[in-house]
Amino acid sequence: MKKDQALVAKLKNPKLKDAAFAELLDLYQERLYWHIRKLVITHENADDVLQNTFVRIYRSIEKFQEKSSLHTWMYRIAYNESMRFIEKNKRFQFDNLEDATLNHFQILQEDSYYSGDEIQAKLHRIIQGFTEKQRKVFQMKYFDDLSFREISELLNVSESTLKSSYYAAVKIIEKKILE
Amino acid sequence: MGKAPKHNDKFLRGDKNSIAEKHKEYLGMEMPSDYFAKSKLSILDKVRTEQVEPPKKETKVRYMNVRLQYMVAASVVFLLFFNLWLFNFNGNTTDDSYDLLMTSENVLINSLLLEDDEVDGYTNELLINEIVIKAELSEQKLDNFFMNSLFVEDSLLDNYTDDKFIETIIL
Repeated sequence: MKKDQALVAKLKNPKLKDAAFAELLDLYQERLYWHIRKLVITHENADDVLQNTFVRIYRSIEKFQEKSSLHTWMYRIAYNESMRFIEKNKRFQFDNLEDATLNHFQILQEDSYYSGDEIQAKLHRIIQGFTEKQRKVFQMKYFDDLSFREISELLNVSESTLKSSYYAAVKIIEKKILE
Repeated sequence: MGKAPKHNDKFLRGDKNSIAEKHKEYLGMEMPSDYFAKSKLSILDKVRTEQVEPPKKETKVRYMNVRLQYMVAASVVFLLFFNLWLFNFNGNTTDDSYDLLMTSENVLINSLLLEDDEVDGYTNELLINEIVIKAELSEQKLDNFFMNSLFVEDSLLDNYTDDKFIETIIL
């Protein structure tokens, strides 16, 4: 946390900004990439959105008021950029959950950087079947390694609600994956 | 389809430390080797270009609040009526000045007290009223006289001209 604060101070200093930004990329690029990748599915899409996300971070770092942690602030920017991409891209438009799951698989299988087997496809299907909130909580906690406190900050939900939602999701997965 | 999942027994146990490993192992998602190093260079490049060409400022559209809109609309209407009134007022002033010119015996002296435009307007009006219209009327009178003379007998016409002649000479 203190390391992040020092980094933000450097990012806000015009003389140190570029060096600090390179440091920021080393620290957070991968985490944001995977967060984006799960939303926009393919590597190519994720690459585009990741670049836009960091350009936006660079442009607006002076406006960051440090009310939240640097990580959650960037995470939110990455989420917004992904949503902007999804809204622009007609391939992501669908009317119901069934179509959404089908669409998800179609896009996933077209990606040359997807090498999923049967069980991985099954996990994708189970996660797609969750409610939006449950899916977010599970992915943020399990795959993005966010703490419950950070997730609570991002989703505006109490930590206890998040915990029960997460453990319920894990139980569903364990049960369905062994079926 | 028949492939046995090698990670079935340790699913979601959290024994994968790297995020990339987790995504590959459980979601089958991969990425090109050395991707992050290349991506970092590309992002830094983009950012440097941004510095050379700063982003265009977004045009902000400011909306007036309703109260201000009413005030502006009322002011516009007021200005419109004020202009109309001013125009009529100026028009009357011009007429008055014409009267001053017409009623006065000494046009030249009064004209010194008025604007050139007003004097020009007066002289134009005078030219039309006094000269052109009067000339037109007298010409019409002459035509009527000539036409009547064709239908009236000579003796009557002689009487008429005599009367006119006597009137003109005596009076």
